Amino acid sequence: MFKISPIAALLSVLLPASVLAQSIEGTVKNSDGEVIAGASIKVEGSTNKVVTDQTGRFVIDGLNIGNNEFHIAVPGYAHLHQDVTLAKDENKSLTLTLSRSPIEVIDIVSTPIHMSVMESAAPVNVITGETLRRQQAATLGDTLEKLPGVQTNFHGNVASTPIIRGLSGPRVLIAQNGLDVSDVSRVGPDHSVAAESSTSQQIEVLRGPATLFYGSGAIGGVVNVVDGRVPTDSTTRGEWLLENSSVNDQKLASFNATTGTDSFGFYADGYWRKSNDYEVPVEAEAGHDDHDHDDDHDHDESHDYTVENSAEESSGFTLGGSYLFDKGYVGLAVEQFNREYGIPGHSHGDEAENVYADLAQTKVQLLGEFNIGSDWIKKVNLRTGFTNYEHAEVEAGEIGTLFESQTEELKVDVIQNTYLDWNGGLSLHYKNSEVAAQGEEAFTPPSTAQTIALGLMEEKHIGDVLLQFGARVERVTLTADNVLLPMLEAHGHEEAHEDQDSDEHDHEDDHAHEEESNITRVFAVDHEFTPVSLSAGLVWEFTQGYNLGVSISRSQRAPSASELLSFGPHIGTGSYEVGALFGMHQEDGETHIELTEKTIDLETANNIDITLRKSQGDLAFVFNVFYNQVDNYYYQTDTGLFAESGHDHEEDEHDHGAEDEAGHDEHSDELPVYIFQTQDVILHGFEAQVAWQVTSEFKATVFSDFVRARLKGGGDLPRTSPMRFGTQLSYENENLSAHLDITRYQKQDKITSTETETDGYTMVDASVSYDVPMFNQDMAVYLKGNNLTNTEARVHTSFIKNVAPRPGRNISVGVRGYF
Amino acid sequence: MKSIKKPFQLNLLTAAISSLLLYGCGDAETTIIEKEPIVVPDEDDHDDDHGDDEFTIESMGRLAVLSADSNQAVVFDLDDNQLLDTFSLIHNSNSLTASADYRFAVIASRSNDYVGFIDSGMWREDHGAHLHDYEQAPEMNHLELDGSRPTHIVKHDGHMAVFYDGDADSGIPAAVQVLTDTDISSEISNIHTLDYPVNMHGVAEPVGEYLLSTVRRDDAENTSAAKILPDQVAVYHLHDGEYEQEQILEVLCPDLHGAAQNGHAVLFGCSDGILVAHQHDEEFEAEKILNIEGLNGLRIGTIYGHEESETFIGIAAGHGGGEAILVKIDPENEEMETLEWQPAADASPVSYAFAYEGEAFLILDSKGFLNILTPHDHDGETHWELAGSVDISEEDVSTMPEGMKFSMTVAENGHYVYVADPIAQHVLQVHIEDMEIEGDIELDFAPANITWLGIAEEAHEDDEHDH
Repeated sequence: MFKISPIAALLSVLLPASVLAQSIEGTVKNSDGEVIAGASIKVEGSTNKVVTDQTGRFVIDGLNIGNNEFHIAVPGYAHLHQDVTLAKDENKSLTLTLSRSPIEVIDIVSTPIHMSVMESAAPVNVITGETLRRQQAATLGDTLEKLPGVQTNFHGNVASTPIIRGLSGPRVLIAQNGLDVSDVSRVGPDHSVAAESSTSQQIEVLRGPATLFYGSGAIGGVVNVVDGRVPTDSTTRGEWLLENSSVNDQKLASFNATTGTDSFGFYADGYWRKSNDYEVPVEAEAGHDDHDHDDDHDHDESHDYTVENSAEESSGFTLGGSYLFDKGYVGLAVEQFNREYGIPGHSHGDEAENVYADLAQTKVQLLGEFNIGSDWIKKVNLRTGFTNYEHAEVEAGEIGTLFESQTEELKVDVIQNTYLDWNGGLSLHYKNSEVAAQGEEAFTPPSTAQTIALGLMEEKHIGDVLLQFGARVERVTLTADNVLLPMLEAHGHEEAHEDQDSDEHDHEDDHAHEEESNITRVFAVDHEFTPVSLSAGLVWEFTQGYNLGVSISRSQRAPSASELLSFGPHIGTGSYEVGALFGMHQEDGETHIELTEKTIDLETANNIDITLRKSQGDLAFVFNVFYNQVDNYYYQTDTGLFAESGHDHEEDEHDHGAEDEAGHDEHSDELPVYIFQTQDVILHGFEAQVAWQVTSEFKATVFSDFVRARLKGGGDLPRTSPMRFGTQLSYENENLSAHLDITRYQKQDKITSTETETDGYTMVDASVSYDVPMFNQDMAVYLKGNNLTNTEARVHTSFIKNVAPRPGRNISVGVRGYF
Repeated sequence: MKSIKKPFQLNLLTAAISSLLLYGCGDAETTIIEKEPIVVPDEDDHDDDHGDDEFTIESMGRLAVLSADSNQAVVFDLDDNQLLDTFSLIHNSNSLTASADYRFAVIASRSNDYVGFIDSGMWREDHGAHLHDYEQAPEMNHLELDGSRPTHIVKHDGHMAVFYDGDADSGIPAAVQVLTDTDISSEISNIHTLDYPVNMHGVAEPVGEYLLSTVRRDDAENTSAAKILPDQVAVYHLHDGEYEQEQILEVLCPDLHGAAQNGHAVLFGCSDGILVAHQHDEEFEAEKILNIEGLNGLRIGTIYGHEESETFIGIAAGHGGGEAILVKIDPENEEMETLEWQPAADASPVSYAFAYEGEAFLILDSKGFLNILTPHDHDGETHWELAGSVDISEEDVSTMPEGMKFSMTVAENGHYVYVADPIAQHVLQVHIEDMEIEGDIELDFAPANITWLGIAEEAHEDDEHDH
């Protein structure tokens, strides 16, 4: 007996609880006593989910003895959490009352603890459904830019990426169904994100540090693109869309469909989009008093007012299937993603030469959920991904630079049973990515990054207070066998940059360059980082319908390969990039770049977020302030030196003889040298959103966001998103929905010495959609207008603001259907 | 490099954070191992206005060394004097020279009817818009020439002519094959060939599409004392990959031996003087500079010429060595005269060469002296005078092993000559103008011969004999 008891204990953990005979029935109503149809009622920690019928009624069987936590959600209402305690074989009947919420509340999928715009300590946004379809754009950055706290780095309509509270690049992780999207969009603003909005179901944004859930690359936030590629049920449903836009003659077709049998679910989606160069209200190139981009874009005399080389064509399809069983599902999906787009501003002094990117990705995801239902473990979520990515930059018909990456990832979330009112789980994460680039812009050597992480997230309700805690420890290794340190022949330009004699570099009159040596030093570099992230937060519902959220966190990030190991020209940013592994040395009046003497350390963000919300009633709001101090922040500083871009010089090519390469040695082929350094940085700001449901049809929202990003020692960070405010008016009845969005972007004058101020502008967008039920389908025709005043809008956060303003007035016509 | 844990910078908000949170201190560790550096083409040289230099390589070049002890050749990198590779050769008795553009070491084994090539790994390609240099590891080329008795290998302006003497005993006639470095690197199968009806100990000088090659007439007609030596020179022209005879020079050249050219004139050594051929349009004209008294009855059997030098140096010696008399041959003025400097009686010359711009003529002698002659103009005539001698050996030269000798090779991209010493088993780097030894390469074997390989500084002609 003595020996058996531990085994028995172990068995009791693993075995499902006994047969469940408890049930509940009830009705869902709103505060006016009207029944609500279509409300989804989910039992936490199970796949048990029902939807209320036309009379608002529901029945759920098979509940646990003891406490059951219900989560009731329906569009237009605040979510409701209800705990119901059941005795053995008890059947309860109850009425659930939901309050209106003018701010749409959608839960984040795929975090072990509960998160939504209204109910989490840390701020999140989710867009889904019609809002997503209305705002979706060709690029992820442009799709999300209407969310408070999120702006786009607008890269000429082709490669925009989201900026969250002033942070982007290697600090914002882009995920697809919770797994790293695995492209090279984090290293260059001209690299497109390999995720598509038009086939997605919802897009989640975690503003502020999210390393707890996603690891090192998420110190500034996460964007998770969610779709139903691995179906969790087999209800037949689908969606299709056809659209044509005037400003760039864009044609878009997309669909997604799910069906299946009792045991198997099937999913397919696909899209195709093609656009021409987009029109702009003014000449694409900004006034000639700007020199911060070195004017490498040759001035075009024509007056057709388009942004040259901004055409795009992309397509993708996904097939998925899953096995559905009582206690969960497991399924596999394969996606092929192709995109070909021009890179505006990516010219090399030669006008005739249009550079375009051709990217292709194959993504395999295996997702599963297992409701173990043992005494201790409620369920296990499994996510596995494998991606193979290739991205070629093609010029004059030849591949100039080829980026390749391969990622394998595994995430296992073990969700515990409620224990002393604590909910949450343990998260195991493994990710291995190999990135290589070859060609003229292969500024970063091939490297392998590996992450192994263990995280714990827990939450607990104590009266009116929800406590949320999290901790995560990672081991990040970054290995590069051939880090190159060429003898850089850099030199100063006194005449062109007299406006930047900052104290950072002294102005030498003589050229600081190496004369004879052609030796490239080679290093095998091995970094091992152990970032630790901790967070604590609470949501206090201090009075009915209002809550106060406070979240504090300390997050660490391992610097990325491009930040550490780069050494070479990067035309996408118009600079010659040198990683933080290297440093500048002054010797005999000459500047040399050698290995740095500084310690390569983690970046650490200490962040506090305070959120005040009113979640119910005709008027709702979310106010958010944050203060984020990032110690050891990796950023690029101008060295004042210039180096040759190395363009046109392909040493691995032998058939060059016939080609006319005259004039490749022009001065315009030179790039300013930027080196990665670290400094302490402070970012602070706010987001505010107030929504007023004036009548059941009419709603008005105002919002604003602001971020100030500065060096602690004085000075600003470049390309910081400007302050913004706007209104969104909507009218929705049975068949018609109309929206009018007016957004004011303020002037940005907090700039670095290498940028220029950017004027403010006002964007006016409108859309009308009309439902026309046909062929037993829900169909809607819609008309969308963007930039209706046809204003010149240059985006301060864009690397190419001087050559690619936002598109001019655009009218899109489309039709979409649901079944 | 180990991280240093920094305390939090105190300010109100972070103080609040740190008081609430545990100190979760991350760790960061970086390991950097420096590897062998790579020497890259100087592509970033933006200060230079001509695009040529974008792709060219600054290098001292490479050195092939043939072992006297074994059938082995090695290649050194002259930038750091590091051994790059060792090659085992098929045969035992070999000679060594460079190909026409100095990319390949040419290994010839006369008695084994074999010519093979070692790729030095350094060469230049003309890409039209620019010159493109390459620097790769040396390797054995797979091309092998199997003509009978390959003897004189003559290079001029990118062409290398291999003269196969043929073999009277087995009735194999003579032949000439002409190859460029590109032919060798592409391991060409249909080599431009001139086939003779008889064997001879002849020589061929490539002049662009033309080939000036010796003709052995019937023994009855042949004016040579030794009938194996030809007494005529014919002009052959390349048509469809074959050399066709277009002209026979009218001037006879009995006991023809030795040839050289400098771009203006092609010289052949005859028992009675020097045959000089000039090209006029499509035609070649010949004349003879008769032997002078100063030769003491000896004949000139070896001639050295250089593109940059109007005058040639002829070597008159009795058959089988012995006393050598050096003469200047001036084809423009149809003049021959003995040099002021002559080798000492007890120091016989073992190797001769023009320096790479023709600015000096070098004579290495058996005593271990490198004698440097430079040209001087006196009343429109060129005189070669001794500029100095460099003692290149500290060894007792009498201990020179049987059958071995000093040897040298001239760099084609700078004022250096490399001298191999079989006694000391090293190669010295000598600066020709400064007349100083500037470096050495230690060997673990006795060198039989050496040759410089790499990218010649200018496309200048050089003409050298190899026996």
